[in-house]
Amino acid sequence: MSAQFSFYDPRRWWTDLIGVWQDTRLIVVVAQIAAIYAAILIPFKAGIPIIPGFVELRPANAIPIVASLLFGPAAAWGAGIGNIIGDCFGTLGPASVFGFLGNFFFGYLPYLMWGNLGCLSSGQSPMVKSWRQGLEYGLVCVVASGVCAGIIGWGVELLGLLPFIVLAPAIFFNNIVMGLILGPPLLGFLYPRVKRWQLLYEDIRPSFLTGENMGHSLETFSSENDSLFPFDAHAPSPLLVCREFSFSYSSQTTPALREISFSIAPGEFVMLLGRSGSGKSTLCYACNGLIPQMIPGLVSGEIEVCGEDTQALPVWKRANRVGLVFQDFETQLIGTTVGAELRHPLEYQEASLTFHDMNRRITHALSSVSLEVGLDRDPMRMSGGQRQRLVMASVLVQNPKLLILDDPSSDLDPGCRTQLRQALRQLRAEGMSMLLTEQDYEALPLANRVIVLDEGQLVWEGTPELLLRNPKMMRQRGIQPLALTECFEEHGCDPLPLTVEEAVVCAKKMNLMIEPSADVLDDTVRLGKQRPSLEGKSNPVIQIDGAWFQYEETPVIHDLNCVIYQGEFLALLGANGSGKSTLARLVNGLLVPTQGRIFIHNCDTRTTSTNELAKRVGLVFQNPDHQIFADTVWEEVAFGAKNLGCSAEEIVVRVRESLHAVGLPVEQSGGLDPFSLRKGERQRIAVASILAMRPTVLIFDEPTTGLDARETDWMMTMIRELNQQGHTIVMITHSMRLVAEYAQRCLLMDGGKFVADGSPRDIFHDAALVRAASLEIPLISQFSQRWGHTLLTVTEVKSSLKPQV
Amino acid sequence: MTISLYLNRKTWVHQLDGRTKMLLVLGFFILALCFSHPGYLLGVLAVVVGGLAVAQAGVNVRKIWALAALLVCYSIMLWPFFVEGKTPVPGFHVLGVTWEGCVFGLGMGIRLLIMVWGGVWLLSTTTIEELAQASQRLGLPTRVGFAFSLAFRWVGILLGAGIGVIQAQRSRGLDLSSGTMVERIRKYVPLVVPIIGHALRQTNLLAMALESKGFHPSAQRFFHISGKMKKPDYVVLICLGMLVGVSGWMWWHGIGTLNVRF
Repeated sequence: MSAQFSFYDPRRWWTDLIGVWQDTRLIVVVAQIAAIYAAILIPFKAGIPIIPGFVELRPANAIPIVASLLFGPAAAWGAGIGNIIGDCFGTLGPASVFGFLGNFFFGYLPYLMWGNLGCLSSGQSPMVKSWRQGLEYGLVCVVASGVCAGIIGWGVELLGLLPFIVLAPAIFFNNIVMGLILGPPLLGFLYPRVKRWQLLYEDIRPSFLTGENMGHSLETFSSENDSLFPFDAHAPSPLLVCREFSFSYSSQTTPALREISFSIAPGEFVMLLGRSGSGKSTLCYACNGLIPQMIPGLVSGEIEVCGEDTQALPVWKRANRVGLVFQDFETQLIGTTVGAELRHPLEYQEASLTFHDMNRRITHALSSVSLEVGLDRDPMRMSGGQRQRLVMASVLVQNPKLLILDDPSSDLDPGCRTQLRQALRQLRAEGMSMLLTEQDYEALPLANRVIVLDEGQLVWEGTPELLLRNPKMMRQRGIQPLALTECFEEHGCDPLPLTVEEAVVCAKKMNLMIEPSADVLDDTVRLGKQRPSLEGKSNPVIQIDGAWFQYEETPVIHDLNCVIYQGEFLALLGANGSGKSTLARLVNGLLVPTQGRIFIHNCDTRTTSTNELAKRVGLVFQNPDHQIFADTVWEEVAFGAKNLGCSAEEIVVRVRESLHAVGLPVEQSGGLDPFSLRKGERQRIAVASILAMRPTVLIFDEPTTGLDARETDWMMTMIRELNQQGHTIVMITHSMRLVAEYAQRCLLMDGGKFVADGSPRDIFHDAALVRAASLEIPLISQFSQRWGHTLLTVTEVKSSLKPQV
Repeated sequence: MTISLYLNRKTWVHQLDGRTKMLLVLGFFILALCFSHPGYLLGVLAVVVGGLAVAQAGVNVRKIWALAALLVCYSIMLWPFFVEGKTPVPGFHVLGVTWEGCVFGLGMGIRLLIMVWGGVWLLSTTTIEELAQASQRLGLPTRVGFAFSLAFRWVGILLGAGIGVIQAQRSRGLDLSSGTMVERIRKYVPLVVPIIGHALRQTNLLAMALESKGFHPSAQRFFHISGKMKKPDYVVLICLGMLVGVSGWMWWHGIGTLNVRF
């Protein structure tokens, strides 16, 4: 519609600005820009005052102009709302109206001006790579900053709060300095990525604004193969029917799903397994209709839910038929209280719902997921497991016929996973039909049926029991088999055991017993050359001496004492909130003990700078995306070394060495965008950037969270190699399998204290102690304990299973 | 990370309808704008302080006392230099400072305090959802209210992520306190980029999650929580209306206003 208007036509501006509110994605972009602006506005101050204590140079002031050049009118609304949110932390008042207006124009003018300045326009994309782009950017920045400062200064004087002559120049200076210094590097980084993510305003503006047909391509491609598992047309009225469904993302050439056919009966619980990238999430999105309605691509075949084609109705009108819980549950929480979170879906669905009905539904949804919290509770003050179940409840409150859960437990600790399984059990008992994707198999016993996907194809279908008793197939499809079944695989036990009890029966039936040899018990079999020696004990690298730490008034670390020696591979265990991550930050110098001392190579962390400590202790954070910012992998890895003041030659040597150590390609790293890589690879970049600082101690905070079995093996092999090269490793993890397989020593924490210190074998020997810390020892250890020994790995059990004399 | 100023108390002002609370704060602002004389403004300030006391919002006042004090001090100190008057202040006469200017500055400082504390009162007694709902009932489009509450929720997420980002970059040797002004500003790139990247990566997912839960810009929103005005709401609004009416009359007749020139 607006395509017929010229750019300078106010009707076009109006249509653009109003059009933002017609599209869900643009509304989300508005909210995100507002949140980014406010979140950076509040804590980030450059420490350079303009009016001391009042107006200070703030990096946030570069956000409206940068966002404007990426997201157009959405940035205008976002900057305005963001300013009001910033005011909500203490300065909300009539002046906020002028703050909104000033920032609105600060976020709108750059979009309007870029490319429309006649001979002064560069005619290029909004980045600052050439002098013409620089000139255009400078002009845009000056005008937008001036208008913003003028509006706010005028308004504030109008209210009689502060004189224009004082406030307006301060705001102008702030905007222009941040816009000119911080804007170009931010744009240089963000523009190519936002373009790749297809989030530029020109990519997401609604079709009625562009005048184009933005309807998603529903082209079809011909089937090449017959389906492996054709749909059984005689099955009794299934709830979901998927018929030879294929899908290719528009950005990819290979299909993500090929000829998938299956069905789900009412009340059935189906589990979808497969390695990362096998197509599990894609299939979930297709079952909900998000594919192809919101994710365009090439589609063939059909999916019906409750007898209706998923493409017949818009996704939002089908919320009471199919509920979808996404993997990243944090993203889906939108309310500031539990009640608001649960009411919100109902407010868009049910016009005739009474207040009483709504409360009944909310109560029922909460009880279905076994969540007992007050409706006025802030979700951000709840545990990860509770938030996950709250998201489930917010889906269930709409009474969907089918609940789809996409990898819901990947970011949860063992305790929260147990709660989630409890909730799934409850839902199953209530007769809810469910489709669950998972990378591990803890919830498998709950399912009626399992479907295995590999490379977009349905490759196996059957009962969970049948799957678990087939470890060879599981390995082939990238699924970690049960350790217990692997132990008996070579003995020809039929059927293979799934539980400790079954394993004991199986062993007795085959006349086998556990009789470990000396090299099993002294860890030679498990750790090989890595086995701890007495030599390292003479060289302490970390000494914790009566350390305490508290946030505000609550102590989270209580009188810790321990010594960690050169070359150790130590696992730090404990439930969420036990103080593991705080301890890691204390050792790294990011936090300082409130009492007691911590020494790293005899340097007191209280008196040594973080920079100096960074040379000795490297901390690899759980989420690599919290640190990646550079254009290329090479620059990212070089960042830490540069900060330490290394020479250019030294940096080259260190980066090459670090990339080699983590198995990333050295030669391509100069042109490789870190954001284009998978999470496991990004985690490696994070490790490499720490290695480039050559610390002797490496601390890994949950290094395998969100990785599939294959990526976990890569990561752990790499960590083991680093340990063998002489690095002392401290690994925070919830995975008892990884502890059993790789760690030399364990420190078990509970309530901010060390409750046990010893080898994994010693710690696992006391199952009650481990359970008291909300953890569970591996099944194979439980199995071997029936013979009085604590074995840790499949290899140990296999070598210890001997004929009974 | 929790960032809201809302205080979950069981006071009668918390029970008021969101619209009443918004109109009440708007009333505070109008009252503050009706007067410029410090004496009259102190009266209005007393009303706001009373409101804060009834709402048991002292904790939030203490949270922002430093900022409020600075703002008031700036207003009091700066205005005398820009306002003309007849009675010079000894010692500052050369700079054009007069007693009239000082009185005006004091009045504007109190006005600023009324506005800041009025905002704190509203945010202490009203949840973001209540604000969104009340705004819609007062005529704000639903989608704008929704974007506001969604953004508010995301600020908490991003602040939490921001702490992680700062720690991750500091542990890689990033030192924000050294270097020239330009260098120090440029050092914010490694902090800002991951936060923006973190948010933008979720854009599609969040949009899909919203539509999966039934949200759509064209969908009508029905508020199911009881939103009827009750007797206390009407009493408060009538009192407010009378106060605003009287103040407007006084303003019209120049009572409580200082006749100053800039």
